[in-house]
Order: sequence, then structure tokens, then C-alpha cells
Amino acid sequence: MRLIDTYAYANRLRRFDPALKVGLTLWVILLCLTLNRPLVSAATLAWMLALGMVWAGLPARVVLKLLFVEGMFLLLGVLGIIVTAGLEPPVGPTLQIGPLWLAVSPEAVGTALALVGRSLGCAAALNLLALTTPLVDLITLGRRLHVPELLLDLMTLTYRFIFTLLECLERMRLAQEARLGYATPHRALSSAAWIAANLLTETLRRSRQLQLALECRGWEGRLRVLPGEYVCPRHTGVIALLVTGTLIAAWSWR
Amino acid sequence: MCRVALDRLHYRYPGAADDALRDVSFEFPAGQRIALLGRNGSGKSTLVLHCNGLLRPRRGTVRLDGQPVAYDRRSLLRLRRHVGVVFQNPDEQLFSASVAEDISLGPLNLGLSQAEVRDRVQIAAALCDIEPLLERPTHALSGGEKTRVALAGILAMDPDILIADEVTNSLDPWMRQQVLVIFERLVAQAKTVMLATHDLELARRWADRVLVMEAGRLVANGRPAQVFADPLVRSLLALDDRNAGSTHPKES
Repeated sequence: MRLIDTYAYANRLRRFDPALKVGLTLWVILLCLTLNRPLVSAATLAWMLALGMVWAGLPARVVLKLLFVEGMFLLLGVLGIIVTAGLEPPVGPTLQIGPLWLAVSPEAVGTALALVGRSLGCAAALNLLALTTPLVDLITLGRRLHVPELLLDLMTLTYRFIFTLLECLERMRLAQEARLGYATPHRALSSAAWIAANLLTETLRRSRQLQLALECRGWEGRLRVLPGEYVCPRHTGVIALLVTGTLIAAWSWR
Repeated sequence: MCRVALDRLHYRYPGAADDALRDVSFEFPAGQRIALLGRNGSGKSTLVLHCNGLLRPRRGTVRLDGQPVAYDRRSLLRLRRHVGVVFQNPDEQLFSASVAEDISLGPLNLGLSQAEVRDRVQIAAALCDIEPLLERPTHALSGGEKTRVALAGILAMDPDILIADEVTNSLDPWMRQQVLVIFERLVAQAKTVMLATHDLELARRWADRVLVMEAGRLVANGRPAQVFADPLVRSLLALDDRNAGSTHPKES
């Protein structure tokens, strides 16, 4: 999460209007899902990787690493589609484990690969958004779109508290480790339970302190902040047109 | 410069057996450096919370320009416009994902226009030397940077009185010096800075006036030399008696 956040603040698209980036992402996802062909998925993947690495200037290793993790997760998810299990011997290549027959059909592999391709294409589009747009920009966009203030305030505080509590958790863990809190599996389990319990009380204490600090600054139930200042470069439209053209060409190519 | 005065304040926390504040009276002078000293649990933080209207006294009055604070929405907003409080842990004060956004909360709550708020954010950032940090996420800042951002969040409201509750305690000497430089800039603008601290040497060197709290009472209020020469204060603060002017803790 810290990695994604770090790059979201340090890329060439940082100052671009989040509406542009969200719009482009949603448009690409829509195309990838509706133009249902493996070539479209491959073209989407290629475009999103290129935009991330060239346009946004993100390091290739970061973009690929993120996609690799998602790819592994997806592959595990489609195992159920690729492998068919049954008590009767099926047609095609099989493997028998006790009374259980496992089979892999070419159709199932095709379906699974198409699914992985589409999902990876969409995931790459979302990665581009996540790696180039800090959450604060998405919240600003939410305000412009009249998303309920309460929801946006909750998003703001949740996001802030994730990092605060991660730091707190790390400090507690170090303090326990310094006193041999993780010396044996039994102690480790007990220490982890203590952290969970303490983290809850710590969260409550911190939220009370945060409320006091906000009241000091005249807070009356609404977190009002300045909207960000963004740019809308014209070449974004050209890029969107190029991506759309490529995906449609990939879909219609025989 | 507004006048803020505490008049015979008494306060007891719900469920507590003893008063946390007992008959505390004090008027903030203009353009001074005030050190608030006292042992842990002596009532320093409770006093600070009263100055900003975060706690309401059980008895006594907080006065703003001679008028008692009514603790309704309007009077609290007016009090908080004039008295800003910064707490020790900046992590418990920064709420927003970005520094500029966080600083903008106070002035926006005062009802200023966006253009004015942008100006205030820039001025407060310049005052606290955090202009390069404005676009940074708050969670990526160091402890000292977070402290300065928390200060800027209060200073953007342009208070006449700044109360810093033990903000220098966890800072390294260099960062502490940076914070003191910010305080000097405020004093140069005829603002008053009150620093609650355990650092007696800092209080002696820095403050124009020293207040000492003990068991909820304000037991000393005067110039540093005068306060640190008082035998009662010296015993309360466990000061070494070998040199009357010394602020070194007594060796046990």
C-alpha cells in the first residue's frame, strides 16, 4: 500500500485532473469487457503498461510486479475452471487420485485464459489509476461529483488512520519483540492477540484526540478542505482516441 | 490583539475524586513568551484545554475581551479564532492525506473565501518553513515535519495566542530550535506563545514569564529569575539548590 501511495504522489500524471484519469480508466475497462476477444485484452494490457511506464514515468519493475501479483491471484482463481473433478472418468487428459478423476479440457483452458486476459487488462487499467492518482485526488473528484460528504469524510479519516495505525502496530510489535514476545509460537500468538486488543483501545484514544484537535480548528462536523488544482492537457484526448482505435481494431481484426 | 483571561477556574473530570483545576486565574499578556511548567498530572493540559473552550469549567469564567465565553457555536468559534492549541503528538492532529489540505481546514471553518484560504495556507507554510511539503502526503512526513505542519494548521487561523502543549518534548535539538524560531516569528508579530513543557532550562532561557502548576493550582506566575528563585517552586520542580539560579534537576 505504501508503495502504491508513494508512486501515486511521484509520477508525471500527478497534477492531471483526476476526472480525466478516472474517465480514461473506466472507458478502457468498459471497452475491454464489451469487446470480448483475447486480442483486445492483450492490446489493453499492452496500452496500460505502456502508458504507465512511458506516459506516467513509473518504473517498469513496479508496474510489472503489481500485475504479476494480480496475475498469480487470478490464476489461482481460474484453477477451478481449468480442472474438472468427478467420480466418473471424463473425456480428455485425466489424472486419477483415489476415486477422484481430474480432467483438463482445451475448452476450459481457453475460457480460463480469456478470463485471465480480460481481468488482467482491467486490472492493468485500474493499476494505472491507482499508481498515478493519490486518494486525496479521488476524494476531491468525489466532492465535485456530489458524493455524500459523510462518505468522503470517512474515506479521508480511514485513509489517514491506516498509516497511523500501521506505525503504531509496528511500534507495539517492536516493543514486544524486544521483550521476547515472539520467541515461541505460543508467545507469538499471545503477543499478536495483545496487539489486536491494544490497537482497538489505541484507535479509540487517537480518534478522541483527533476530535479535540479538529475542534481546536473550528470543526463542526464537516471536514472542509481546499480543492486541488489540476491541469487538463489536450493530449489526453488524443491518447484516449488512440487507445479506443487500437482496441476496436483488435476486436474487428480477423 | 484580543484579551483572554481565565477567572477562578475549577474543573473536575467526570468520575474523578479531586479537582483537576482549582481556582486558576490568569490573563494572557500581549506579545510574550510564556512557559507553563508542572509535574505530570499537575493540570497543565487541563488548563490548556480550557483556554480554547475544549473543556468547560465547573466554576469560573473564561473571558474574551472582557466578555464571558458562552460556549455556544458562535462564541466558541470566536475564541478558537483567537486562541490556537497545538498538542504534543502531531499524528493525532493531522487528519488529511495532503499537507495543504490539512492546513486549509481551520481557515475554511472560519468562513474565509478559497482565495483567502490559499493565501493563509501559503503564509502559514512560509512561517513554518514547510512550503516544499505542501503537496506531500501527511503520512510520509518525519516527526518534526509533522509537528511543523500541525503548527501551520493552527497558525493559518491567525490566532493572537498560540498554546503549544509539550510540542517540543519529543523533538531533537535541531527541530526544537526550528520550532522556537517559529515562536520567535510569532512574538515579533506581537502574538503570545505559551509553551507547556518539562524542560526547565528552556523555560529559563526562552520565556518572559513562567507559570507553575501543582495539583490543579497555579502556584507561581512571574519572571523566570523570580520564579526559579522561589524555594517552593524549586522543591516542586526538584531543582538543585546548590545554585539559586540553576535549573538543573536535583540529584537523588
